[in-house]
Amino acid sequence: MHLLIYSILLLGGLGLIGALVLYVTARKFHVEEDPRIDAIASLLPGANCGGCGLKGCRDFATQCVACGNLSGIHCPVSGPETLARIASILGVDAQAQERQIAVLKCNGSCQARPQQYVYDGALSCSVMDAVAVGTRACAFGCLGCGDCTTVCKFGAIAIDESTMLPVVDSEKCTACGACVSECPRHLLEIRPAGRRDRRVWVACSNRERGAIARKVCSAACIGCGKCARTCPFSAITVTDNLAYIDPALCKTCGKCLGVCPTGAIQATFTMPKVESKPADVFQTI
Amino acid sequence: MKNTFRKGGIHPAASKIASRQIHIQPLPMVAYLPLSQHIGAPSKPIVNRGDKVTRGQRIAENASFVSAALHAPISGTVAAIEPSVLPSGKPAMTIIIKASEEEHAADTEARRNYWNDIISGVSDRTLSERLSGDEIKHRILEAGIVGLGGATFPSHVKLTFKPEQQAEVLILNGCECEPYLMCDDALMCSYPGRIVEGVELMMKASGIPKAVIALEDNKPEAAAALRSAIDPQYDITVKVLRTKYPQGGEKQLVEAVTGRRIASGALPLSVGAIVNNVATAFAVWQAVATGQPLIERVITITGEIPESERCNYLAAIGTPLADFPFTLPEEARAIVGGPMMGRTAVRLDAPVMKGTSGLTLLAGKSRRPVQPCIRCGACVDACPMGLEPYLISTYGRLHMFDEARVSDVADCLECGACSWSCPSSRPLLDYIRIAKQRSRK
Amino acid sequence: MNTLIFSPSPHIHTSRTTSGAMRHVLIALLPAVACALWFFGMPALGVLLVSVAVCMATEWFITRYMLRRPSTLGDCSALLTGVLLALNLPANLPMWMVAAGSVMAIGIAKMAFGGLGCNIFNPALVGRVFLLISFPVAMTTWPLPDGGFGDADGATGATILSMIKLGNLDPESLDMSKLLAGDMGGSMGEVSALAILIGFLYLLVTKVIKWHIPVSIIVGLVAVDLIAGYPPLVDIVSGGLLLGAVFMATDYVTSPMTGRGMLVYGLLIGIITASIRRWGAYPEGMSFAILIMNGATPLINRYIRPERFSPRRKELAV
Repeated sequence: MHLLIYSILLLGGLGLIGALVLYVTARKFHVEEDPRIDAIASLLPGANCGGCGLKGCRDFATQCVACGNLSGIHCPVSGPETLARIASILGVDAQAQERQIAVLKCNGSCQARPQQYVYDGALSCSVMDAVAVGTRACAFGCLGCGDCTTVCKFGAIAIDESTMLPVVDSEKCTACGACVSECPRHLLEIRPAGRRDRRVWVACSNRERGAIARKVCSAACIGCGKCARTCPFSAITVTDNLAYIDPALCKTCGKCLGVCPTGAIQATFTMPKVESKPADVFQTI
Repeated sequence: MKNTFRKGGIHPAASKIASRQIHIQPLPMVAYLPLSQHIGAPSKPIVNRGDKVTRGQRIAENASFVSAALHAPISGTVAAIEPSVLPSGKPAMTIIIKASEEEHAADTEARRNYWNDIISGVSDRTLSERLSGDEIKHRILEAGIVGLGGATFPSHVKLTFKPEQQAEVLILNGCECEPYLMCDDALMCSYPGRIVEGVELMMKASGIPKAVIALEDNKPEAAAALRSAIDPQYDITVKVLRTKYPQGGEKQLVEAVTGRRIASGALPLSVGAIVNNVATAFAVWQAVATGQPLIERVITITGEIPESERCNYLAAIGTPLADFPFTLPEEARAIVGGPMMGRTAVRLDAPVMKGTSGLTLLAGKSRRPVQPCIRCGACVDACPMGLEPYLISTYGRLHMFDEARVSDVADCLECGACSWSCPSSRPLLDYIRIAKQRSRK
Repeated sequence: MNTLIFSPSPHIHTSRTTSGAMRHVLIALLPAVACALWFFGMPALGVLLVSVAVCMATEWFITRYMLRRPSTLGDCSALLTGVLLALNLPANLPMWMVAAGSVMAIGIAKMAFGGLGCNIFNPALVGRVFLLISFPVAMTTWPLPDGGFGDADGATGATILSMIKLGNLDPESLDMSKLLAGDMGGSMGEVSALAILIGFLYLLVTKVIKWHIPVSIIVGLVAVDLIAGYPPLVDIVSGGLLLGAVFMATDYVTSPMTGRGMLVYGLLIGIITASIRRWGAYPEGMSFAILIMNGATPLINRYIRPERFSPRRKELAV
């Protein structure tokens, strides 16, 4: 009986002392934290992808609360609903943020750009880029080792076996920008996803003269400027033999698609092909 | 016991299988001169398309202090100033000069006479006394001379330093520790006297009273030739080092010669040494004594090609690599430079540049299937900088760049001793390079 | 048209390979294996074959059906583990126990951690210690060598170390020549010191291992022996010390990378072994000592870095 009492007293006493220590330290070292930080952090995706430019999701939440609004700070991963809920926690109105997506500025598939050289080394675009142009001759195009697929935290990029080019899954892509900073040739660009998922972009990054670019890749932008002249909204500019479509001006009418002689302009929709004679185009440049 | 550097190092098969003779490679009809053939700002062109240029004429000038001038290696017309390919296949701004048949014939004649004079001519040994140091340095700058060992650092910059940075010894690097390459060896055996005179000029230019020509013990002929060429009036010694790769690395060489170690990120000058290549000394002599700027260099064509094709060529800078007579193996790696640090070329129409020490042609792939790291420590033993390649390589692969920086990745020479020694054939250096690049940001 | 291959430097590589290193260790083990067969006869051959076969089968099964990767048997590491495990067992151990130890060694100690290069503990030793703790009687009943090839005559006895521990034997009275040749009870591979030393020399000459670990283990052991007042020579040649020092502790994967790290590792193994032998409950402590230091290897690698070439300009915080 005594044994029982002693045990209970001893263990209970130990427990009590422990509880006291915990209570005192919790009180003494208590850090006052805005409960909204936790509330926001729980809404965030939690992938710590760094797409917002901060170290992680909790940093984003802290920053939100510190600013008091969502201006100048944006989580590309969270959808508009999540952002609206964050805004309501902060007690401000959510600004409508356009959904964005990563696109590949290269269309040099195996057919357009056949393999010319053999690579023997670590399978990484950065490593390959530091050595030479790549297996497929173009000094600006995709190397196809898939560094972008490995950095994508959302599994949104995969290498297409038939073209050996990465394909961005528009459902999964959150426009966090990890692939953009990883690609040694800066071939990925974050662009607005577009209304009803309609978007047009130049799928080429080759800045060499048209003839040289065309020699290494049949799908290269040759800088002929036809698209720029055709565009009714002046959204297209050609610099260094390379066309660029400004997403802010582009109305996705698709007129440029039909006139591009090499098919360097890509879109998520198809246009009835306008009559074009590639041979004539080459004579004019 | 001969000296060498103390830490790490490997002993790859020397494969010095080329003949030591220097053949004269005919001048090209078209010369390609990339504007960035050196470390520093690209040269600024001073000719325009369509201009007539003569052999040795300056066609591009220094864009800043750390930069180098460029000269026409052939007479002809500037055909274009446009992006053209480098051996890697990447485009770079290039001056392209085309020669006519008459210009080519005249150049060839002038060049033959020039080299005959060098071989038979009597040298003017008083030159280094008559000229002031600044005058010599100016001529080096004018001649566009850069380090010909491969680093291509502008030579006039190396020889210029503040008086309080006391330089005590001028080290001439004749180690040529890269397997296969023999261009420096050939030059030392063929023109020992000119190299020594070049050293004398460099001593005068930099004001350093003492010079050491360092080479490895696998080149006894070169050592003997240089020893007999030395004028006892000058404090020049030939130091024979125990063969070990990468002895030609600046930090390793300074340690092997002086016993002093250069701090991380510091220059050899911090321990009172200046390192130049022996081929640079020869180019200095050419520039100062004969007035010929850097428009030619010796390159080795070697590797797994027929024996008769393995030799050294005196080639005009700007000569396309494909112009040299060699039989390309069926599946070839065409390495510009030696097999340890050289870079594979994919475009053989790219030119010989100032830093091109050779073309090593090897057959087939060299890499075996990658196996797991068994932590045998071979890479740690091999690393001449005392780093942990297995660890840094993993950091590079996993994008842990902060950890790589803390592990002193910035000290890496990229000598390749780690990848060479790995029994599991792991691509250590491939990832270390990424870690080195990206941890700098 | 010739194909051009491009590749990052360096473009040449050493001819040494991982499987080559494993093969060198196997060759170095031949004298010890020969001694084991000579002294213990057919049962020893049985143990060896079962151990090797089960080790390789386990690895093949795991890579084929669980990891679904290409087989890794070609690197010879499973073969080596099998041989090392057999040499650490008594020749008369029941075959099912040998098989259980092999499965433990490869399945748990190696493949569960991710296969070759990823294991923290030496697989063969984990197999042995597993058996030692699970079946202490079977693992410490040694057949006495009968001095020739043939069946062991069934006589069993304790090792010298356990006899000394129990006070049945005076270490000063032992005949060194018998000990060196291996005429004593013990595990299959540990009895002949001479055979192991031949293997050690072979490994040194072929530069597969460095001298640091074996030598420092012996130094550590001798130091403790001198303090404890025990004849060090007997301690060195008896039990599993030499086998462990030359073949087990030097395992690349589980030992430190730098020379200095190896010295610390070896010294501590020696000290722990001698301490267990002198003051612990077990007559033999080599396996435990190596396993303990295997666990400490990552720590040693972290704190004993190679000496950098360049003097540091400023110390960076790690």
